[in-house]
Formats: sequence, structure tokens, C-alpha cells
Amino acid sequence: MTLKQFILPIMLMLCHTLLAQQDTIMQLKEVVISDTQLRNFSATQSVQRLNDSVINTNASSLTSLLNYNTVIYFKENGLGMVSSPSFRGTTAQQTAVIWNGININSQLLGQTDFNTLNTRDFDAVSVRAGGGSVIYGSSAIGGSIHLNSELDYADAFTNELRINYGSFSTQGLHYKTAISTDKFSASVSVTRNSSDNDYDYIGQEGKNINGQYYNNSINAVAGYKFSSKNRLVLYSYLFDGERHFSLIFPSEIRTKYRDSNMRNMLEWVGDYGKFTSKLKAAFLQEEYRYFANIAYQEFTFGRVQSIIGKYDLLFKPNEKFKINTVLDFTQNKGNGSDIINKTRHIGAASLLISHELGSRFMYEAGLRKEITNNYESPVLFSLGTKYQFAPFYTLKLNTSKNFRIPTFNDLYWQEGGNAELKPESSWQVEMGNVFTVKDVMFSVTGYYIKIKDMLRWVPTGGLWRPINTDRVETYGAEALFSYSKTLGVHAVSLNATYGYTVSKNETTGNQLIYVPYHKATASLSYSIKKFSAYYQFLYNGEVFTRSDNNSRYNIDAYTTGNAGVEYNFGNANSYKLGAQLLNAWNADYVSVDSRYMPGRNFNIYITLKFK
Amino acid sequence: MNLKKCLLALVAGSVFFVSCSSDDDNNSAEPTGAYKDGTFILNEGNSAPSTASITFLGDNGNVENDIYTSVNPGKPGLGTYLQDLFFGDDKAFIISGSANKVTVVNRYTFEYIATIDTNLENPRFGAVVNGKAYITNYADYRVGTDDFLTVINLTDYSTSKVALNNWSEKIIEENGKLYISNGYYGDGTSITVFNPSTNATESVIELGASPESFEEEDGILYVLGSGKLSRINLATNQVSGSITLPEAFTYSAQNLSIEDNKLYFTSSTSVYSMPLNSVTIPTTPLLTYTSTSQYGAMYGFSVNDGKIYIADGGDFSSDSKIYTYSLTGTLLNSYTVGVGPNGFYFND
Repeated sequence: MTLKQFILPIMLMLCHTLLAQQDTIMQLKEVVISDTQLRNFSATQSVQRLNDSVINTNASSLTSLLNYNTVIYFKENGLGMVSSPSFRGTTAQQTAVIWNGININSQLLGQTDFNTLNTRDFDAVSVRAGGGSVIYGSSAIGGSIHLNSELDYADAFTNELRINYGSFSTQGLHYKTAISTDKFSASVSVTRNSSDNDYDYIGQEGKNINGQYYNNSINAVAGYKFSSKNRLVLYSYLFDGERHFSLIFPSEIRTKYRDSNMRNMLEWVGDYGKFTSKLKAAFLQEEYRYFANIAYQEFTFGRVQSIIGKYDLLFKPNEKFKINTVLDFTQNKGNGSDIINKTRHIGAASLLISHELGSRFMYEAGLRKEITNNYESPVLFSLGTKYQFAPFYTLKLNTSKNFRIPTFNDLYWQEGGNAELKPESSWQVEMGNVFTVKDVMFSVTGYYIKIKDMLRWVPTGGLWRPINTDRVETYGAEALFSYSKTLGVHAVSLNATYGYTVSKNETTGNQLIYVPYHKATASLSYSIKKFSAYYQFLYNGEVFTRSDNNSRYNIDAYTTGNAGVEYNFGNANSYKLGAQLLNAWNADYVSVDSRYMPGRNFNIYITLKFK
Repeated sequence: MNLKKCLLALVAGSVFFVSCSSDDDNNSAEPTGAYKDGTFILNEGNSAPSTASITFLGDNGNVENDIYTSVNPGKPGLGTYLQDLFFGDDKAFIISGSANKVTVVNRYTFEYIATIDTNLENPRFGAVVNGKAYITNYADYRVGTDDFLTVINLTDYSTSKVALNNWSEKIIEENGKLYISNGYYGDGTSITVFNPSTNATESVIELGASPESFEEEDGILYVLGSGKLSRINLATNQVSGSITLPEAFTYSAQNLSIEDNKLYFTSSTSVYSMPLNSVTIPTTPLLTYTSTSQYGAMYGFSVNDGKIYIADGGDFSSDSKIYTYSLTGTLLNSYTVGVGPNGFYFND
């Protein structure tokens, strides 16, 4: 890395300080979550937490939530269709999705389809920017998305029902019930979403054909403290969805895709003063069925069953020092119509340290090594430090080495899989500046990532094969801004984000396709007594669709906005009635070539909460 | 050409001269149009519609990219993964794999005429006999027994299906019969002879090797396949001889093309040639070109009118190149075309 490349992100940070930015970072509540590393070992990076009120005013897909509230760019094949993120200019396989501390990226595809998770099933969604492989394993290069269920041990019984209905027969039903005592806590959430999704194109003939979908999900969590020191917690998440894939040309053969995913984890937590021990056992199953022609019953499929065992021991001799060792073992067993049936085993050990020196300075460090017979696994590390220069200004520095392992499809696809692949690996560094003044939080982070051995599927005559080919250099800056103020019966909040991203293929010097240089989001909300109104804004800069950066084929930049109003009829209980105007300015836009998105459309919802 | 089409052409604002004189009716007039003399290059593209296009390389050496879109603004897009282009009378037919349809254009002006989108399921290649077009279809690509022919009546573009029950890929017309290579990705090892007048399979000729490419010359069908070069006598529909390829060519030999009593084929980035009646396979290449494409080398190949044409697949995500060579292997020219060029179609 040259000095110039290193300086640039920092220069950019200074240049962009005037642009509006966001964060929905809230103080992490002291509730019980399984993913304790998110709280304990993420101090030198940026963690943006989207709480249930943000989740509730967004559409239920993870794509929509993150697209409108974070710097992450999404490539969506039409509304509700396959959706891939690009976080800090990296590929979809370089963002990890973590469910209650467990990495749930597909073992077949290496990525998560962000339209196959219902955000309403979770209590909080956190976005941890930057490297995280030392803690979360494969794919945590651009960053990681954390879906957490929170358990509260207090006497309570709550019920929540949400019904929404909107354009294109889009329907949603969500019910959650939670019951807890000082020893026992349980919650069950059920969600169903469906849509005909047959919107008309704007400004041209045609409509979205074969885009209908439905999905059902259940999230259940139950915890029991069987002594003052020990508790057992069971987490379970089921998702079942079917999407028809929308057409570009009406004559295309109609296809559909079915996802059935199951995630279960049992955790035994022992709190022994200075030691906290956690033993976790998880069973995950992912399965897809692809119907290449919906006229027939035939389908191709892939299935991976994973068993994960984890032992996590935290030693905390005092409030300022934490040392955490994690041993984990994973077995993935894959089979399918197009892959060789294989079972792979991965063992890993990691060590994490966090140490505060005085009240202003702290550092954290981590080391991880995986052992597997499937590929050479590099030693991963992370090192970060934080210094509070003034009450209003904190500086964070972090560097790490991360990786993305080859998937079952990469290794064992028939024909074409390449068993000789190496993991993609990255080295990265970032510098964060956090400013906090009264009700305003503003942060600017500059980063630099160097990725080698990028996997790419390339055609070999009639056959496509993956190879370790590209080296990519990514750098940029992210700014987050948040402001909230309550004055009597009035409350206002403004959140904004901006990302500047350069992601270059080192050989050609060209920007990667589908990585915008600029992306910005903003949301403004205002409430007076029981009435509230909000507006969300999204700007996506133009993206290249050609590897030679031929600008003739660029996808234009676009701006969209959603507006909503809400009224609470309840008193002790909350009964909210809301209406939303989505794509309020009827913007004609695509995020993927020829995959038109809907124009102005409507949604109404009612949310009833009983205590 | 009728008045309606004339008006359509004018309304479309075409810059190309369209003949509307009344003596068109006798069909004897010399065809006119900007694309009368030259070669079409099919750029298959990737999943994004803007990547699929057709390039025209004029006999005068001029190159025009994306001619379909420039001639036919506002008309239905071609679709992507362009699979084949074939001619019939004054028409050209363009097959799109992803859009599962065939676009019909005037082969001289490239003006849009019609779209055919019925009785197709993963269409592959086509040929025209006696006012009908025949297109092979994979249907389910994993299964050979469901493959079929789409028969298109060219007077009204109505379609019907004929089952083939065999892996069906390339198709050529010779002497009123259709020859279909029954092989893709190593499955299928025969040639089907289809008789359009009875609308049925006449004969299936077993090769003992999976056919990759074929061409007819003087009553003999030359078939290049996995490990074998076979000759089929079309008078008897019998294999009259076959040559085992040297081991180095077993799976890499492809793109058989015949020109001036010579047989050409390719392996990796090299072109080989041999006399048509030779029983010895050459091992020294006529020419080798340098490809920047890791795996898209020799993605399209043809020999015609004293020139060798090579298309390089590039990275399938940006405009790529074609090269022309003399028959002695001297580079004549190179041209930038579209994304993933896969074939040459000579308009003469």
C-alpha cells in the first residue's frame, strides 16, 4: 500500500464532514443476548444498532431495513427477488450474517439472500462495520449483520399484533408474545408476508410478471435460570418461503425458488463471578429447491446440515480487563442434485482480549486459527485501540486479517467445482472518529482493505469453474450522523449515513461492477403527542455494469423516498394505525440492469401492543 | 414488400433505404440494405439485457456495433444469451436462450419483423427448409429424451412441436433434409436425420462419440466429436470412416469448419488445418493467437471466403474482440465487438 492510498481515506473524511450523516447507534441495553462479543469486543469498530422502532417503520425484508438505514449497497433483482449486499465495496460473500452469534451465511452460496430474513422476528439488528473473522469466521470482511433476540428476566407478559396491507396485494401478519418471570423468559414471534408483486413499470409498457412471493417464519426463544449461576437458553428460527423469479422478457421460462431454513441453538451459560462459561450446540439446516420451469414438478436442490459446538470462556478479573477464549467445531454435511455429497469439518480456536487503561484508553486484540482438511486456512488476527481525546471526541483504530472460505458449490459443484481453491483473504485497516455533543453523534471512518485470491466463476467452454483470480483494493469513508431531541410533547430525530467507496480490481485498475462511489440515506421523524410522521431518503450513485467501466452501460444514480404517518389510539396499551407512501416521488429506477422497481405505492398497518 | 411494412419502416425513422417499388413482387430484385455485404457477429452477453448485441462487420472493413438496437428503437429487445442466428430467404432469425424467443429481422436492413415465443423451451439452433424454420430445444437441459423441434410456419409464424427424444443441439439443412447433432456436454453420441416432408426422424446415425461441430461438403457430413472425426455418407446415412484424434485433442478439438477443400478445427488458442480427404490429424497449428481471456478463448470460430475468423470471449462482462487471419495464418485485423462474441454469420 502506498502512502497516497492510505492518506486518501483520511483526506476524504475531512472533506465530507459537512455532508449529512447518520447513526442509529443507541446505548446497548443491558439485556441478555447470546452474541456477547458484539458488546465486549467491538469497541474499536463502528456498530450501528437498529432497534425495534426502526424495524417497525421499515418493510419487513432485511434488504429494505438496511438499504434505507445504513451505508450498505444492495443489488436487488426487482422487489423481493434475490438481494445481495456490498458492504465497503466488497462482494456479497464478504458480508457475514450472524444470528444470535452464529454465522448463518449459506454454506452453498457463501452469502445470505437479504430477502430471506424477516426483520420483525428480531429485537435488534446491528451492523458491525469492518473485519470480524477472528470472532465470526468466514465472510466478515466488509462487515457483519447481527440479528439478535433479547431476553429480559422480569415479570411481564406482552402481546403484539401487526397487520399490514398495501399495493400489489402485499400483506403482512406478525404476532409476538413474550412471557417472563425472574427465572423464566420466553418469546415466540410468527410472521407471514406475501405479495402478488405485479407492479406496473413506470414510463413504459409492461409490468412485473412472475414476481409473486410468500414467506413464513417463526422465531422462538426460551431461557430458564435453573440456579442463580446457571441458565439454559434455546433459540430457534424457522423460515420457509417461495418466490417466483420475475421476468425481464415476458416469453422467458417461468421459474421459482423455495428456501427452507432452520436454525436451532441450545446454550448453557454459567456465571461464576470472574468467569462466564458458555457451552453452545447448534443445528442448522438450509435447503433450496429451484424449479427451472414452474410447469413441471421437477426441481434441483441443495441442502447443508451443520452441527456447531462451541465453548466460550470469558475471564473478567475486573471491569477493565476481559479475556475470552472460544473453541469451536463445525461439521457441514452437504448434498444436492448438483454437488458431490461431502462432509467437512472445521475446528477453530480463538483468543480475544480487551483492556482498558485509565478512563480514556483501551485496546483489544484477537487471534484465530482454523484447522480443516479442505483448504489452507490462514492465521487471522485483529488489533484495535480507542482513545478519548476529549469528552466530545474519540479516535478508534483497528486492523485485521479476515477471510472467506470456499463454499460447497465452489468446491463440489458438478460439473465445475474446484477442490483446489484457497480462501479469499483480506488485510484491512480503519480509523474512526466519533464526535458526541449533547444530542448529536457524528462519526467518520476511513478504511482500506486489500483482498487477494478472490473467487470468480469463469466459463471454460461450456463449463463454468471457480478460480482464485483477482486481487482487489478497496478504500473509502463512511459517515454516520444522528440527532434526537425531545422538547415537551415534541420529539424530533434525524439520522443520516453517507458512504464513499472505491473498489478496484488491481490488475485492471477498474472499479468493480455494482459498487457505487456514493450512497447516502437519511431519515427524519417528528412526533407530537400521539401523532408521528417520518420521511426516509435514499440516494444510490451510478454503478458500472461492465468490468471495463464502459460508462455507456452504467446504471443511473437514483433517489427515492418514503413518507409515513402514524397515530396511537391507545393509552396504557399502544394501538397504532399507520400509513406509508413508498417511492413517494414515483422514481423510475433499477438497482440491477432491466430489473425495474415499483413506482409510488401504498401501505397501511395497524400495530396493537398489550401489556 | 407491402405498403404496411413500408410505412412501418418510414415511421421507424430508419436511415436505411428501403425498396418499395412495385416490381418487388417478382422477388427478382437485388436485395438492398445497409447489412447486405458482410458478417454478423453474435455477442451472447450475460444476464443483463444491455450486454447482448449483434455486430456487423462489412466487407469493406467497417464495424458497426449493436445494430439491432440502433435500427429498431422501441421494438422488443432481443433477449440475452444469444444462442444462434440463421438465415431463410430475406430473413434472419435470432435465438435468445434467456428470453426463450426468436426475433425475426430483415437480413439486409435488420429491421424488426416479428417475435416468435410459442412452443419454445430453451431453444438452441435453427435452420430453414421450404418456408419453415426448425429450431432445436433442450427443454430440461439435464434430460435428452424431452428435446424437441419447434416448427415455424414462416407465412404466419405459427408454431408446432415435434419430439426428437434425443439430445439435440446443432442443426443444418442439406438437400431438403435436416441433420441434428445429438450431443451436448458429453451426453448423446449420434446424428439425427430429420425429413421435413414427413415431419419425422428418418434415421439416427450412431457415432460412438459425442458430436461437437459438423459441416457438409460434397455429400459427406464431417463430424468432429470427443476423440473422433467421423465422415458420414449422406446418400446411405452410414459412417464411411472415422479417425481417432490424438490424445491431446480428445476433449479440446472443436469448431470444425470447411473451406476450399480444407478442414479447419481449433484446440485451445490454436487453429489446425488439413486436407479434407486426409486421414492424418495435424499436430502443428496453423496459427496460435494470444488470448487475454482465461477461459473464453476461441469462443467463436469460422472460416469463410479466404479468411479465418476468431472470437475471443473476453471476461463476459465487457466488450471483447474478434480477429481475422489469412488462410496462411497471418493476422489481418482485429475489431472490438460486444460482450461474449460466440459466432460469425456470413450474409452473402
